[in-house]
Amino acid sequence: MSAKTARLMGLLTLALMIAALFMVFVYVPTEADQGIVQRIFYFHVPCAWVAFAAFALVAIAGIFYLWLGQQIWDDLAYAAAETGMVFCTLVLITGSIWAKPIWGAWWTWDSRLTTTLILWLLYGGYLLLRAMADDTSQVARFAAVVGIIAAADVPVIVVSVRLWRTIHPAVLVTRQGGHGLEDPRMVATLLVSMAAFTALFGWLLMLRFALLRARWRLECAARELGLAAAAAGDLR
Amino acid sequence: MNGFATILVKDLRLEARGGDSTITLAAMSLLILVVIVFALDPVGGARDAATAAGALWVALIFSGMIGATRALVAERRNGCTAALLLSPVDRATIYCAKLAAAVIFMAVAEIATVIVMVLFFNLDFDFRLARLATIVAAGALGFAALATLLTAIADRVRGGDLLLPLLAVPLFVPALIAGVRASTAALAGAPFMAFMQWLKILGAFDLLFLGAGYLLFEHVIGED
Amino acid sequence: MNNLGYLFAAYTIIFIAIFLYAGFIWRRQARLEEDLRNIERKLKDVRDEIAAHNGRDVRSASS
Repeated sequence: MSAKTARLMGLLTLALMIAALFMVFVYVPTEADQGIVQRIFYFHVPCAWVAFAAFALVAIAGIFYLWLGQQIWDDLAYAAAETGMVFCTLVLITGSIWAKPIWGAWWTWDSRLTTTLILWLLYGGYLLLRAMADDTSQVARFAAVVGIIAAADVPVIVVSVRLWRTIHPAVLVTRQGGHGLEDPRMVATLLVSMAAFTALFGWLLMLRFALLRARWRLECAARELGLAAAAAGDLR
Repeated sequence: MNGFATILVKDLRLEARGGDSTITLAAMSLLILVVIVFALDPVGGARDAATAAGALWVALIFSGMIGATRALVAERRNGCTAALLLSPVDRATIYCAKLAAAVIFMAVAEIATVIVMVLFFNLDFDFRLARLATIVAAGALGFAALATLLTAIADRVRGGDLLLPLLAVPLFVPALIAGVRASTAALAGAPFMAFMQWLKILGAFDLLFLGAGYLLFEHVIGED
Repeated sequence: MNNLGYLFAAYTIIFIAIFLYAGFIWRRQARLEEDLRNIERKLKDVRDEIAAHNGRDVRSASS
């Protein structure tokens, strides 16, 4: 994965982002009920999609790491986790900013946002584990196991939280995910935004991954230097 | 005697001979219930199934986090993990044995907790507790499965005692939601059919973590 | 319109977050590449020293 690929990805991201911004602010009509604040939706939803997809990637990379034992899979998992965390945080923040003018409260315990909160806690736990275990040789294994069980748990979490909210509806009537998109222009805008954020995630993932690989090369080179210097010292 | 039974009996014997796991668990549960009563102040000791169920599960989770995993810690404290790993028992069996010990410790503490809950919240000692016991047992099983796996990691990481609850709580959320809802319904007298969906979630959760623990334990157990 | 403020805030935060994260990666990458170049230079120096030493040995051994 070369610098050229990363640059191409960056350009693609930029192009899609510009297109998405244009569609969100110029092209798409204002929604009837919620007014212009509803436009947050077009970036909020893709962030959520990325946050969940990234987490799946963390788990899959973890499985490959445990199976094949190659460091490259662990680096991929770590890169995906950090990048995914950024987007997960954005989901919560934008969701909160959207909720305030619509529902009058910064936080509504609606099923989607609550599930994302749990996901955020899982991301946090995963990253904290990596930070704390960094001095052990087993950090990659531990992280892989935690990533796998967390991702496996996510569907159960989604179902249980959704059921929780249906049986005990919030005091504030929850929006049904805002997917009542009547106008095809809204659908188009959402799709372009999804593409833009997927590209953005891909680009950031590549960069973060490259950084981890570079650190690995550095560690190997440092070790070689140590060996070579010792050999040279013996000769003197 | 097979490996599973050997390890389990060893842990139980250790506990019976002066271990403090069950006492700690029961004591923690009791204290947490007291704190909740003072904090939430159920009006006039009201017969409130929902508050009682909630308090019960809070006590279970927190005491479980502290006490349920002593079975694993015992080896580490005495440097015996290497010996355990050198024995001809495969890792998955070690997991099952540790898990079983944790469940037994939790079960003992939970019986005490349920009794105290009934007293504190002015409920009745009747057949509804039988349904409640099933639900709580299922929850304890799932929690023990989760905690045994996570403790193997947390023990080997610095700051692990913060890491364990940080990871365990979000992971346990589905069982917590399902458990509390089912417990509330059970205490209110509903039959299993009425809250079957919650039982299904609890069951799925247990299966998931039992399976995950069984398969993944070998990757995390070790000594350092 | 107050709601415009919320909309603006949401999008601004998104872009700030993206730029901060990308920036953080960029800076670390630059520093890492500099370290890598240093080490590779040192490695070459040490290897040259070993080669020179071996060269001298071979010459003295064959004479």
